[in-house]
Amino acid sequence: MKNTKVILACIIVGLFGILPLGLNVYQQHVMIVCLFYVMMSASWNLLAGYTGQVSFAHAAFAGIGAYTSGILAVKAGLSPWLGIPLGVLFAAVIGFGVGLLCLKMGGIYLSLTTLGVSEIFHIIINNEYEITRGTMGLQVPGLLVEYSKTGYFYIMLVTAIVSLLVIYWMIHSNIGLNFRAVQNDEKAAASLGVDVIRIRVLAFTVSSALAGLAGGVYGHYLLLITPEIPSLDQQFLVLSMTIIGGMGSFIGPIIGAFTLEILSEYIRGYGEYHVLVFGLIALSMARFAPNGVVGLVQAGWAKRSTS
Amino acid sequence: MKKSMVCMVFVVLLIFIGSAGFVAAETLKIGVVGPRTGTAAATGKSFTEGIKLATDYVNAHGGVLGKKMEVVFEDTAGSPDKAASGFERLVTRDNVVMVLGESHSSAALAEIEVANRLKIPFIVAEAWADPITAKNYKFVFRAGPSNSGVVNETIAKWVIHEGFKKAYIVAENTDWGLGIGKLCEKALNAAGIANKTVVTERKGQDHYTELAKIKAFNPDVILAFVYGTGLHYFVAQAGEVHLTPKAIILDGAGPPSLWPDFWNNVGDYGNLECLVSSMHKDVELTKLATLFRKNYEKEFGKAPTDYKSRSIFDVVLIAADAINRAGTTDANALVDALEKTSLTVTRGQVAFGTTKGGPEYHQWMPPMLVIQWQDKNQIVLYPPAGATGSLKHK
Repeated sequence: MKNTKVILACIIVGLFGILPLGLNVYQQHVMIVCLFYVMMSASWNLLAGYTGQVSFAHAAFAGIGAYTSGILAVKAGLSPWLGIPLGVLFAAVIGFGVGLLCLKMGGIYLSLTTLGVSEIFHIIINNEYEITRGTMGLQVPGLLVEYSKTGYFYIMLVTAIVSLLVIYWMIHSNIGLNFRAVQNDEKAAASLGVDVIRIRVLAFTVSSALAGLAGGVYGHYLLLITPEIPSLDQQFLVLSMTIIGGMGSFIGPIIGAFTLEILSEYIRGYGEYHVLVFGLIALSMARFAPNGVVGLVQAGWAKRSTS
Repeated sequence: MKKSMVCMVFVVLLIFIGSAGFVAAETLKIGVVGPRTGTAAATGKSFTEGIKLATDYVNAHGGVLGKKMEVVFEDTAGSPDKAASGFERLVTRDNVVMVLGESHSSAALAEIEVANRLKIPFIVAEAWADPITAKNYKFVFRAGPSNSGVVNETIAKWVIHEGFKKAYIVAENTDWGLGIGKLCEKALNAAGIANKTVVTERKGQDHYTELAKIKAFNPDVILAFVYGTGLHYFVAQAGEVHLTPKAIILDGAGPPSLWPDFWNNVGDYGNLECLVSSMHKDVELTKLATLFRKNYEKEFGKAPTDYKSRSIFDVVLIAADAINRAGTTDANALVDALEKTSLTVTRGQVAFGTTKGGPEYHQWMPPMLVIQWQDKNQIVLYPPAGATGSLKHK
């Protein structure tokens, strides 16, 4: 069974490896954006889906990664290849801090606090426009000397694979078991020797670091970093992708990210209404299929197996 | 279960790959970028109106390279990231041969980088920041106002002409606002006119703090570089605190004071407000300007107000003319043709600057007017040659 999984994973990665050969420049761009959302949704899912901490600051951490690397590149001339790891580190440190701040919080209180953190970050970016250029956008150097869509596709693919491997390893190790124990019942988990504080803060830190990585790479791909990356629109999009795909499952956010990003390209002509469409889909899924697409498929599969 | 998951991923990928097949073009596509949503969505509406009249005009006169011209409009919402990705989408998905438009400088500054990278000619219509052309990119042109052109040729001269002694500059925190604010400071200092500047948030709705500072300075004129409905809040709140009409407000962009909801939002506080514009029914420089007004009235059943509908009309005509003269859609040939443009449009005779080194490169600056609202009538104040009245104070 384990071998089958590895073979399947290798086939999928292999197919993605040759994917740019069959895609034009526009389709490659869409795939790159999909991979960014895969990283964002999967890392948010690690926090919300596995430890039950619904944070609204996830897009803000992507912004921290992007702006740290971008500002270092523009103001200090630092290579993005060094700036991105520093952005990841900074996002992790801030994530650790927010994790500690929210230690005693759960449910709506945690969500409201992270919403506040996100908004504070947004206000700083907009007001400190002499450093961040605010809504004007910070133009940053790319990761490649010669711009190449295919090159960025592979960079984003490798980054996404690394992120997914980290997440997969965590949820299939003892840490993942502890995550689930904390999500189900903190007191029961603590009585069984799980260090709840450590687990909650760890989830926040790792999730924030991965968001910072996604934001950093994405910003240097776009060559432009704007407050759109750490916006609430972005946050709710990531949330919708995870819920629609299937929160609390490894593959759910991946499916959600691809489905919604590709769908959004088709309905982009409707302007801001495409966010409304996503909201309606997310609402319908939450009401009729709370386990997302993955849950629907699992239910269908189980039904077929029994009949 | 795992198999079904993998199948789903493949199906999604196959749908995506299969549906993007390219259908041979029977029309020649031009891309337009501009805000259709956000605080300046009205500009997108004006662009749409101008595009309709321009495509009708071009197609009625033989089209482009023997084909009908088709315009694909991509919404940028005035946001640089949406603008850059929208521009790229027009080129890579819609296969447009040229891109036109834009009304936000920050969005245009993001777009010119894409135009330069993809080597696709881009004619900016109404984004004024100097660096757009000052970067001297081969594929970037501007057939519209530039910050330095508007300040040095119109705003500063008008302030001196009216004999104002003290001016307050209100600049939004955008490339356009900060750039034009700095140029105004420089021009007013050179003219010996006392001035101060305050920077305001682009999407700000509460200007009372800035207004208290401005009132303490007691200026004769306020040069407001705030685009979108934010300008409406500013004008209404300036009236509420009795800063106006003693001090005259100049809307340094123009269109927000011409949008249909202006009077609903500002009420009587809009009276005596001044604005910059390139269009007035009594100052039509060419026969095409008159034709544009008549066609607009016929098509939309109202008189044109927002001059940006006419700006995009001109830019579409400039693009069509360049494509026809080039005889090809090759980007380098289009740049050569654009550099040799000599075309009469609604705002005069177009000729792009070709001297490198400053914002004049690939720039054509149309003449601008200063207009004052007097009892809801537009009175041209400046330049004196086109004036239809004089400044009213209370």
